Amino acid sequence: MMGQNQILPLWLDPRTKILLLLLCVLSAMAAPSLQYEFLLVAGIGILGILCGKWKYALKGIVFYAMVYLFTVWAMNSMTGTLRNMFVAFLGLFHKVFPCGMLSGIVISTTKVSEFLSAMNHIHAPKKLIIPLAVMLRYIPTIGEDWRYIKDAMRMRDVSPSFQGFITNPGITIDCVYVPLMMAASKAADELSVAAVTRGIENPNPRTCLIQIRLGAGDAFTTLCFAAFFLAGMYLKEAG
Amino acid sequence: MLELRNVSFSYSGQTDGGLRSISLRIPNGECVLLCGRSGCGKTTVTRLINGLIPNFYPGTLEGEVLLDGKPIAEIPMYQIAGRVGSVFQNPRTQFFNVDTDSEIAFGIENKALPPIELSRRVKLTSKELGIEGLQNRNIFQLSGGEKQKIAFASVYAMNPDVYLLDEPSSNLDMASIRALGDYVRLIKSQGKTILIAEHRLYYLMEVADRIVYLEQGEIAGSYTPREFCKLSGSERRKMGLRAIDLREESPECPAALQSGLTLELKDISLFHKKRIILEHISLKARQGEVIGVAGYNGAGKTTFSRALCGLHKECSGSFLWNDEPMNHKKRLRLSYLVMQDVNYQLFAESVEAECTFGIKNPDRELTKQTMEELGLLSFRKRHPNTLSGGQKQRVAAAVSLISGKELLIFDEPTSGLDYDSMAQVGGLILTLAALGKIVFVVTHDYEFICRTCTRVLHFNRGKMQDDFLVSTENETKLRNLFSIDL
Amino acid sequence: MNNQPKLECNGLTVKDLVTTGIFSAIFFIFTMFGGVFFAVNPVLTFYMPMGSALLCGPIYLLLVAKVHKRWSITILGVIMGIVWFVTGMHWAFSLGYISMGIIADMTAGFGHYKCKKLNMLSYMLISLGGIFTYLIFFIDPEGWAGAMLKNGTEQSYIDAMHTASPSWLPIVMIVGTLFVAAFSAWVGGNMLRKQFEKAGITV
Repeated sequence: MMGQNQILPLWLDPRTKILLLLLCVLSAMAAPSLQYEFLLVAGIGILGILCGKWKYALKGIVFYAMVYLFTVWAMNSMTGTLRNMFVAFLGLFHKVFPCGMLSGIVISTTKVSEFLSAMNHIHAPKKLIIPLAVMLRYIPTIGEDWRYIKDAMRMRDVSPSFQGFITNPGITIDCVYVPLMMAASKAADELSVAAVTRGIENPNPRTCLIQIRLGAGDAFTTLCFAAFFLAGMYLKEAG
Repeated sequence: MLELRNVSFSYSGQTDGGLRSISLRIPNGECVLLCGRSGCGKTTVTRLINGLIPNFYPGTLEGEVLLDGKPIAEIPMYQIAGRVGSVFQNPRTQFFNVDTDSEIAFGIENKALPPIELSRRVKLTSKELGIEGLQNRNIFQLSGGEKQKIAFASVYAMNPDVYLLDEPSSNLDMASIRALGDYVRLIKSQGKTILIAEHRLYYLMEVADRIVYLEQGEIAGSYTPREFCKLSGSERRKMGLRAIDLREESPECPAALQSGLTLELKDISLFHKKRIILEHISLKARQGEVIGVAGYNGAGKTTFSRALCGLHKECSGSFLWNDEPMNHKKRLRLSYLVMQDVNYQLFAESVEAECTFGIKNPDRELTKQTMEELGLLSFRKRHPNTLSGGQKQRVAAAVSLISGKELLIFDEPTSGLDYDSMAQVGGLILTLAALGKIVFVVTHDYEFICRTCTRVLHFNRGKMQDDFLVSTENETKLRNLFSIDL
Repeated sequence: MNNQPKLECNGLTVKDLVTTGIFSAIFFIFTMFGGVFFAVNPVLTFYMPMGSALLCGPIYLLLVAKVHKRWSITILGVIMGIVWFVTGMHWAFSLGYISMGIIADMTAGFGHYKCKKLNMLSYMLISLGGIFTYLIFFIDPEGWAGAMLKNGTEQSYIDAMHTASPSWLPIVMIVGTLFVAAFSAWVGGNMLRKQFEKAGITV
């Protein structure tokens, strides 16, 4: 296997990661209490540390702890509409944060090619894999394009900022969309030519250089997350 | 064996690039170079052979294109792909993956080779092409030349019998062009059939067996390299072709009209995220000078030009305009950068609207006069996107003139241009200089520097290594800079 | 021999798939960019779908104009669903985009992807994908905040939700999002006519 970083204590199969995300969403949905959510975030933090993202994991836990304290305080001392507003907002936050944090770990430890290999393994249709691959590859290109466009706007005395947009909406819209979409449609042509001339239309299923394999780590992590989810369900029923 | 029998083609909805009764036989193992002006149909010939016509580009096709005696139209696209490999012009839009290994494997993955074979081939390809250093990297962090190597490697891994290269050197620097030349020699030594459509000819003279010259969709000449090299400079230019041998090019040193206002850089150092890019640059430039900026990719040429026009702010030292210090805002007001991909700076729905885009009270008279000077009046109603590359540059230059910029910077203005267009860009730059602008040209193009620039700056290893006039006395220096042996 | 291969047949070509992928990338970035200012602000969270709907009209319409075949919009919706899921957004986001993608595809399909009004309507529909999450809040406020409040859910909170919390908010959200999307599509339609058709890239 190529390019795999063996120093890390834990390497997970992308399929496992997707499953973990799903379990995480379910756990966040079932969460019987805030303490439970806190444990979930802590668990994700440990996973992050094992995957080599200890800085990110610690930041996530600290940030969540702060919001946790704020939530407890807000629920106890706020009243009226303000409280309702925060209930709504924080409700969404607590549901989304664990998943977002896990997804940060998943995204930063998964190579695009591994992800596509996983999609291949689960026999996703080509009609979905091709656009998805192109999309993932094109996102950084948008960043590059945007840097050029910003330069071009500045030289035309158009400010590439929110303020500029407010003062001069018509011009700013043209400046952003026109070059971006022209570049996109040119890229679409050239990229499809490059794909077609390298045989992407082959009706046989393609193979994949990066080989992914399920291992003991995958089974163990999945079990932990599943058990945690079930515990949440049980607590909720009992609660 | 490739054969075109009396082939005519025209793209639907487009007049350019069609072909008229082309007949061409390419035996196995031959290397054929297709040349001619932009729009002469050389790219179309390559598209006939890799099956993009008729599978991808619609149009009217007559005659037969045969690959080993079988009509290409009858072979499915993915089977052609295994036998004919294509490398294209733009390294930015040829890759499908984010990392280099998967990209090299892209073609053979489509062929559905077993995984063990895939990794064996990727390793072998990297070794044979000398790109082990690029393995397991993020493609977005590679230079244009490196991306092009990966694109080549991806085709090489598929081991096709025929290679088609469509203007592969357009966006490359001198070193990468040399590496590309080596690749072509390598595949030739393996007995592959090679067809290259190119404007830059010099790097292929040793390896080509035959040079086919196209004019307006017809084969107007077929030469052996020896015959081709005998063409005189004026004949060659009349055919619209770039230099065949760079050793024959020498500085033409257009006289600079040195007068008036000056730009001065005092001890400028440039940083990117606190890392030093270039340090201690000091120079003076006067109106009417055309200053070439040369150096390898990554030497800081782009950062330098962005700093010069106030787009890059991380710098120390001072910029003076007529002894007045200029901060980045003032520089931005005074200068204009014509980008390598000029499409990013065209926003409006017509050339005319583009010229006055964003200007509150445009001076109609000045606009009209500028368009006339730069030969844009006849296109003024057209959408900028429908113009050719050279014409788009003209529009950008017109914009800079109308908004009263004094300092103009061109980034790689000649990439992918044929001789005529290059000469026109040269003419454009000389016109701008004659109007009293200071022009900087970032370029890898030796031929273009010889014809256009009055002075050259050389950046290397974080410093400005040299600053000299383009003149007959400095010819040796200039050649050394571009590693052209005498 | 006049050949118009593949372009006239029904299935999506590689070019269509690549185009869909590229425009999905831009669609995703712009949806996120438009929504992010709202999402992190407690006062404005509920208006996030409007922010997202504001920016994507031109992108969506150009995609439809370039591909104009069935499945392309569905793929866009599914990709958005996958991406939202993987980035850890609320699950209803994914569900919303996937289902509205299918509906939007059918809507535009009625006009064979050429009818400007139906394309516009189809964009308005796909923009509704973002509001599913918030609708769940209104349907089931207890479940929403259950974990935060002690002893399951406080009666006072429920009462407040049913009385004080304005029942017009979901309506404002839906109508507002539709309105913003219509505006975005109108801008996009103009841009298509003024720029992209003239530049010859809608073919």
